[in-house]
Amino acid sequence: MKEMICIVCPVGCHMSVDSNMNVFNNKCKRGEVYAKKELTNPTRMVTSTVRIESALQARIPVKTMDAIPKGKIFELMEMLADVTLKAPVKRGHVVIENVFDTGVDIVTTASLTE
Amino acid sequence: MTYDIVIIGGGAAGLAALHSAYEDGLKILLIEREKTLGGILKQCIHNGFGVHHYKEELTGPEYAERGIEAIQDLDIDVFTDTTVIDISKKKKEFTLSMMNTVDGEFDVKAKAVIMSTGCYERTRGQIQLPGERPAGIMPAGSAQRYLNIDGYLVGKKVFILGSGDIGLIMARRMKLEGADVLGVAELMPYSNGLTRNIVQCLHDFDIPLYLSHTITNIKGKKQLEQITISEVDERFVPIAGTEKHFDVDTLLLSVGLVPDIKMFDSLNMDISPLTKGAIVDQFFQTSVEGLFACGNSLHVHDLVDFVTQESEKAGEYAKQYVKEGSLRQKKLTSVMPGDRVRYVLPQKIDLTADQEGWTFALRATENAQRGTFKIYQGDALIMEKKARFIAPAEMEHIEVKKDLLVSNEPLKISLEVLA
Amino acid sequence: MYDYLVIGAGVTGANIARMLSKYELNVIVLDKESDIGNGATLANSAIVHSGHDPKEDTLKAKLCVRGNALYHELEKNLDVPLMHNGAYLLASDEESEAQLDTLFNRAKYNGVHAEFVPLEVAFKEEPNIAKDTTRVLSLPSTKITYPWEVALACMENAVSNGVTYKGNQTVNSIQKDGDIFTVTTEEGDVYETKHIINAAGVFVEKIAAMIEKDVPYKINPRRGEYYVLDRRTKGFVNRTIYPVPSVRGKGVLLVPQIHGNILVGPNAIEQDSLDDYSNTPDGLRWVRNEASRIVQNIPFDQIIRTFTGIRPSIYQYDFYIEESLEVDNFFHVAGIDSPGLTAAPAIAEYVEEILKGKMRLVKKESYDPKRRKLVLYNEMTKRQQQKAFDEDKRYGNLICKCEKITEADVVKSIHSPIPATSVKAIKKRARAGAGLCQGGYCEHQVLKLLARELEKPLTQVDYYHPSTPLVKTETKVKP
Repeated sequence: MKEMICIVCPVGCHMSVDSNMNVFNNKCKRGEVYAKKELTNPTRMVTSTVRIESALQARIPVKTMDAIPKGKIFELMEMLADVTLKAPVKRGHVVIENVFDTGVDIVTTASLTE
Repeated sequence: MTYDIVIIGGGAAGLAALHSAYEDGLKILLIEREKTLGGILKQCIHNGFGVHHYKEELTGPEYAERGIEAIQDLDIDVFTDTTVIDISKKKKEFTLSMMNTVDGEFDVKAKAVIMSTGCYERTRGQIQLPGERPAGIMPAGSAQRYLNIDGYLVGKKVFILGSGDIGLIMARRMKLEGADVLGVAELMPYSNGLTRNIVQCLHDFDIPLYLSHTITNIKGKKQLEQITISEVDERFVPIAGTEKHFDVDTLLLSVGLVPDIKMFDSLNMDISPLTKGAIVDQFFQTSVEGLFACGNSLHVHDLVDFVTQESEKAGEYAKQYVKEGSLRQKKLTSVMPGDRVRYVLPQKIDLTADQEGWTFALRATENAQRGTFKIYQGDALIMEKKARFIAPAEMEHIEVKKDLLVSNEPLKISLEVLA
Repeated sequence: MYDYLVIGAGVTGANIARMLSKYELNVIVLDKESDIGNGATLANSAIVHSGHDPKEDTLKAKLCVRGNALYHELEKNLDVPLMHNGAYLLASDEESEAQLDTLFNRAKYNGVHAEFVPLEVAFKEEPNIAKDTTRVLSLPSTKITYPWEVALACMENAVSNGVTYKGNQTVNSIQKDGDIFTVTTEEGDVYETKHIINAAGVFVEKIAAMIEKDVPYKINPRRGEYYVLDRRTKGFVNRTIYPVPSVRGKGVLLVPQIHGNILVGPNAIEQDSLDDYSNTPDGLRWVRNEASRIVQNIPFDQIIRTFTGIRPSIYQYDFYIEESLEVDNFFHVAGIDSPGLTAAPAIAEYVEEILKGKMRLVKKESYDPKRRKLVLYNEMTKRQQQKAFDEDKRYGNLICKCEKITEADVVKSIHSPIPATSVKAIKKRARAGAGLCQGGYCEHQVLKLLARELEKPLTQVDYYHPSTPLVKTETKVKP
């Protein structure tokens, strides 16, 4: 049995999932979907920063445009450490394209002038 | 120079207030102490903002830039890198003293002032942590700034006191950037953060959350070396024998926010001991006529979306005040928190005002799966509203129609919890 | 080779250094801390006592009364801040009234002006004192200073008159060969000197034991815990308010501070440790309760921080200021607990007399007793502010809005005669971060100014002590 808290809505059901992927203690169908996804292919949005030169601040924030596999988060952090941008940069600028072949881009979330 | 409206603080609240206060022909000034607008959102790089207001999930900087873009073509004055140091009022005119590196110290006059100055973090001194006072103890928001704006980690082995969202978010951020986060301690038996953040910031990274725990000792002559946490009983007294020690170089505090309104001290406005912000009426006007308050400098919000909504109203009323010369009420009636309600805002209502009703923002004092908010006028129960998943960490909003009123007596809002 | 080596740059050592700088002598002051005045000087009640309290015919009585008078010279010549606000001593029952009489007589014997004031006057002057107060003794010569600045002012004046000051020097051995002492520090430096003055505060016995077999005193450190109330509480009490002393010590006081804050404390707890500055919940609770006995409705919701000081007490009652009985030219300045801050300039004078009895001291012609303090922007008149800004635009950049400290104030502190090289050192000189938010907003700006001015990376700017950087590592850099 695997225990987990559902985060789909504010109810926050404490669910259990058995080895056959049967979900218990969920109050609605969405909980079951969430639980199964968490156990088979958990994904997360990631927000972080990359270096930027010639701006008022030393880092510029970035995000994944969509959720990526949870197991890849630290690998992505390594990749972000290799990126350096130069101001000016617009919000939505693609920093890494199609990361891990997921179809998800990493983009900046702020515009920084020189 | 006399402005119709001066807005102090260019974060989420100030930007929204400006947007709604703007009208052709009105002279408006926005003052911001930093070099750029956006306020604290600029360092809140995580997502989850904007779900109510923009109906999509944004990061903090994105939310801020939407607000900035909405006002950038308006015909107004914006002073950035400028800090207000004092405000006084004579008759109906405000004088604001401020300074910057271009003009030094100078004054401007205003008919109306909107305070949207945000809040500051409670520090170690204010919560009186026991033990030694080495380097390495700081508010979580300061660490967030160093990390997200400047690109520096404040420590390699971290413990966090307080499970509010900023503490949880920083646990994940520090971990992602290579620090070891040993745990989060929370005095209350429940977390003050969103469930999503508990799961995605702590569970995802196997960071333990110690509920009903507090810090009982701090060691380190120069740099922080060790903290001790202990379990507390129902009265929050540490239980001997439950001590756990953690060798850390950093302790982040996420122990509450306080409205930053000291610069308004000389106006002597009435301040609520419950919110530590100004007492306002339904126009978001303080006890000083023409001075309006909104955002976290009025009361600390859970979601920036509500800051925006509230500040838009404050801006609207400030504009109305300038155009009509007064919103001055004949008689103000109090609105008080009752059982299980920590505070209600606005705290004063002019019942005679030409309005259909009012929306009250409030916070409960305890968690409840289900409950009923009861609105009393004097002894008469005038309205009930059922609610689910009530939490002190989340603001509630209750709309009360004017035609429900039965007298001129004060209003009181209580929460009844079903067993 | 130095003529005099002073160990300890607290308020005592700094006054002694200034005294020595009057003469044709080669003088050095060593302190183990990264900044001056970091021990008892930094954490005490900040009172320049009248001298009503020390027992008759003691050095404490004599040097307290003399020191109180000498503070006027420090105020005039060194720009030391002094608030001439007096004190009230309160009694609330027969027993404490009797003690008040004893203190009144002692004050008279010690040559201190004291007078009983009618209750209605006392309540009018200090409306918040406890309603059950039955008798009030006024001590008009009690004053308030900023103790740390006293040490800074003396040390800056000493340095400008030729004294050398070195911080981060922890003395760990003293040898004597013939007439020459060799002093070695943990940091690996070696100093030769003809005389040593041991003003090491709470470490005074430890230092003495490096050269003496039988140190003539034993240190008895006593912790004192305090609350600091925000400047908003200014005027809650106008004078220092004392209870009558009891077996539990001088009691918990309320003390208005130079910068507008109010101190509430201290307790007095004996401890073994020389450097455990912990706050304890029990200690603070006791302070709160005791204070509430003499003053009502204390605004404890305005606490901005708490701190602990350690009194360098010895088991003897009196100060111990003598040349060593075992080692010629080694001088003890020990047991300088309350009223040590008040007595400090008089202690320097007393040491001067001892030295004059031993050797001829030649006055330095170039000696200048004056030191001008760094005037902060918030201390200037409107016209001075305008002029300062016209000359230096950095006066327009407000760094700390709680205390109204500008970039120029911070930069000038960094480049002052005893330079501020850490975030906390800035806070002590320029008050940035000493306000309501305790540095929440300005700290990162102070840090960046320090890095810029000292030409160091951010990761090498200390919070205070060596190797305590506020930010530890830069992110997104490959090793």
